[in-house]
Amino acid sequence: MIEMKIKTVTILGANGTMGSNVSGIFASFGNAKVYMVSRIIEDSFEAKKKAALSVRSEAIQRNLIPKGYEDLSECINESDLIFESVSEDFSVKEKIIQKIKGCLQTEPLIATGSSGLSIQKLSSLLPERLKSRFMGIHFYNPPYNLPACEVIPSEYTDDQVLEATKNYLSGVLFRKVIQVKDSPAFLGNRIGFFFINKAMIFAEKYKAEGGTDYIDAILGPFSGRSMPPLVTSNFVGLDVHKAIVDNVFLNSHDPAIKSFKFPAYGDELIASGCLGRKSGGGLYKTITLENGKKEIHVYDIKDMKYRKRRKYFFPFSEKIVSLLKEGRYSDAIHGMINSDSPEAKICLEFLLEYICYSIYYSVELTGDYHASDDVMATGFNWIPPLALIDAMGGKDLFLDVLNNVQEVDQDLKECFVQLWSNIPSSKFDYRPFLKALN
Amino acid sequence: MKSSKVFFIGGSQTDFERNWTKEGKNEIAILREVVEDGLRCSKISFDDISDLNKRNRVAIFVGNFIGELYVRQGHLGGLLTEVHSAFYGVPSARYEAACASSSVALDAAITKIRSGDYDLAIVIGWELMKTVDSKTGGDYLGYAALREKEAEGIEFPFPKLFGKLASELLKRSPLNKELFLQDLAHISNKNYQNAKRNRNSQTRKWFMSEEHASDRGSKTNPFVGELLSVTDCSQVTDGAAMVVLASERFVEGSFPNENFPFVKGWGHRVAPMSFEKKMDESRSSKYVLPWTRQAIIDAYGRAKLSFEDMNVFETHDCFTSSEYAALSAFGFCIPGEEHRVLEEGLVEFKGAKPINPSGGLIGCGHPVGGTGTRMFLDVAKQVAGIAEGYQVRNCDNGIMLNIGGSATSNYVFIIGR
Repeated sequence: MIEMKIKTVTILGANGTMGSNVSGIFASFGNAKVYMVSRIIEDSFEAKKKAALSVRSEAIQRNLIPKGYEDLSECINESDLIFESVSEDFSVKEKIIQKIKGCLQTEPLIATGSSGLSIQKLSSLLPERLKSRFMGIHFYNPPYNLPACEVIPSEYTDDQVLEATKNYLSGVLFRKVIQVKDSPAFLGNRIGFFFINKAMIFAEKYKAEGGTDYIDAILGPFSGRSMPPLVTSNFVGLDVHKAIVDNVFLNSHDPAIKSFKFPAYGDELIASGCLGRKSGGGLYKTITLENGKKEIHVYDIKDMKYRKRRKYFFPFSEKIVSLLKEGRYSDAIHGMINSDSPEAKICLEFLLEYICYSIYYSVELTGDYHASDDVMATGFNWIPPLALIDAMGGKDLFLDVLNNVQEVDQDLKECFVQLWSNIPSSKFDYRPFLKALN
Repeated sequence: MKSSKVFFIGGSQTDFERNWTKEGKNEIAILREVVEDGLRCSKISFDDISDLNKRNRVAIFVGNFIGELYVRQGHLGGLLTEVHSAFYGVPSARYEAACASSSVALDAAITKIRSGDYDLAIVIGWELMKTVDSKTGGDYLGYAALREKEAEGIEFPFPKLFGKLASELLKRSPLNKELFLQDLAHISNKNYQNAKRNRNSQTRKWFMSEEHASDRGSKTNPFVGELLSVTDCSQVTDGAAMVVLASERFVEGSFPNENFPFVKGWGHRVAPMSFEKKMDESRSSKYVLPWTRQAIIDAYGRAKLSFEDMNVFETHDCFTSSEYAALSAFGFCIPGEEHRVLEEGLVEFKGAKPINPSGGLIGCGHPVGGTGTRMFLDVAKQVAGIAEGYQVRNCDNGIMLNIGGSATSNYVFIIGR
């Protein structure tokens, strides 16, 4: 096994959420000295505290050294790894890479924490001697809880450097490493936002029934995710959501491309500053009532204003939840498959397309049927697609269900069916992912 | 009766990382999962159970400490009938001895097979503890102490009792406080690192280092009782473990070509309930926990084996102080020389006599009523060579020590081939 020793790391943009959390990972599991570089050094000091708390250990603070950009040259020339975690904007990253290039005299490993920009394009900014030592290393947030880590080489990345980096990430930092081809949004966000954006499109399609909270109620924790998809969008912010799906929509050929078209009502919300939790409201917002109690409101697409979130009652989901509560997984899944209710049909359509898209794209981007399981389980905490097939009773029964549901996108179905004969069982247990919760 | 051997033919453990309350699932769900997995692993079907039951040759033994409080459900032997109709009519009962509850269940099952009453015993230990907040849970655990004197009105009584054990060990140790606490931090870190190899452990994704474990009194590692901090302490865990035991007659009939591990020895001793009386009584002994030591000697004697014959150890590290006390009790050293054992690296995963390769209670988790079966399962898996990522080398015999209360109930089993 090719080993890599990382004793010193420089994190640029260390004051950001990912920057500080990733600093914590290198300083704890990696026991590396970490220079935390931010534009304002006071921000680096704040980030140091956050980094230690993110891994639940104040003891690692001795490994965290706050720095400003005036110290950049000294930091990076002492480092074995330079990890940039500045804003997800090509021009901002370009400037940072130029800055690194300008003062770097050594040949360390250089990585970008980008969640979906072109690694090849970023790589081209570096001189020849450094291109072979550059790659994308995409951690999921928060990395302490979500160990998924996508590694994205460019065509210049040296094979041995790549192998050693993967070994370090899995063996020392305890990451679940998934090597993916350089492609918009990589693998996890590509699948996750396929699902989330489709939910946003469906919220508009079913705006008369309630829209956003109606769709989220149909795709609740009982369907295999801790957080409903549009609550997730609200959590990450509509601006980030839009940037991810626009990047895919504009820069890729995809059998499900129409699911990546960001809805116009989302643009309107962004234009009015309603991004999500971080701006005080987006698809959802929390209202504090006069008596001090909090209430969750949702943006009603039909009426174009916020209203109180509804408690929907769907017989199909009530039944699933009561079966899951006692661990009757097969009965619960087949209850949904055999239900005639419109909500059960929507839920099933989403799950079937999620499976087809994930596996198709997993093979396309990695050549590995298990990669989408790895990234969705350990990066999103969603039920992995192969595990969902297992939950449905295996690939033969799954294919019967798929063939009986007309609503599933035909192109996607065809892409999947070509792969069907090689589909393996999952390495994950589906049971913990199916929550007995609405 | 042809033979008195009791064989381990399979078992299962739930993923101790899971929080069943957060999943919205109840006690029937966890029992269903552990039973289905355990039977599959043992190559026993529900139809096999029904067939054996027609001849009254199968029974169920359930270990649970205090489900009446945690999940507000009693009559836990009968509860198995909610899992599968194959259990209708199967003799089934619940056994209790605080954190050693499922060892009592194992003891009963082993006895019933050895006596020839049954051919197959399903032993399940479980506890769902995350149904309540940690303070309430700490109060419930106080029922395992002498409640009125040791737990009533005291927040988290058990960390305080095992903190007292740590103080007593320090008093009897040649080490100064700093070096003694360093040894305890080493034990904690060892068990966390071991847990990383175990795909069912509670803490496999957690960060731990000896430095963090030594950073006692900090915000991320606060004190919990006298000298001990959070990192010296096992965590609140939801979990279940099951083992399937069988008579020699059954194994010969159903699995003639298998070389299953079997129970070679056992020990069961009960010390004074009150911690103060335990310490008073032990003043005249070299051992801080003499009845724990005696249970181990009894087990070695019954197995006709000695410490030297043991290749792997699973011990009850509810706190680092209890693993420290177990070193001399097992026979690694005479009391007071524990630091030498730790220095030599003998008990590390790659050492000659690893302790808690599973991660133990600190690393793997401690669903109190489930811990005895979890330990038994892990020792049996080591002997059978099926412990996957945490398999130790050359394992012919293994021993487990499971304690209830402040080392009041002491249960030991030796499993080998």
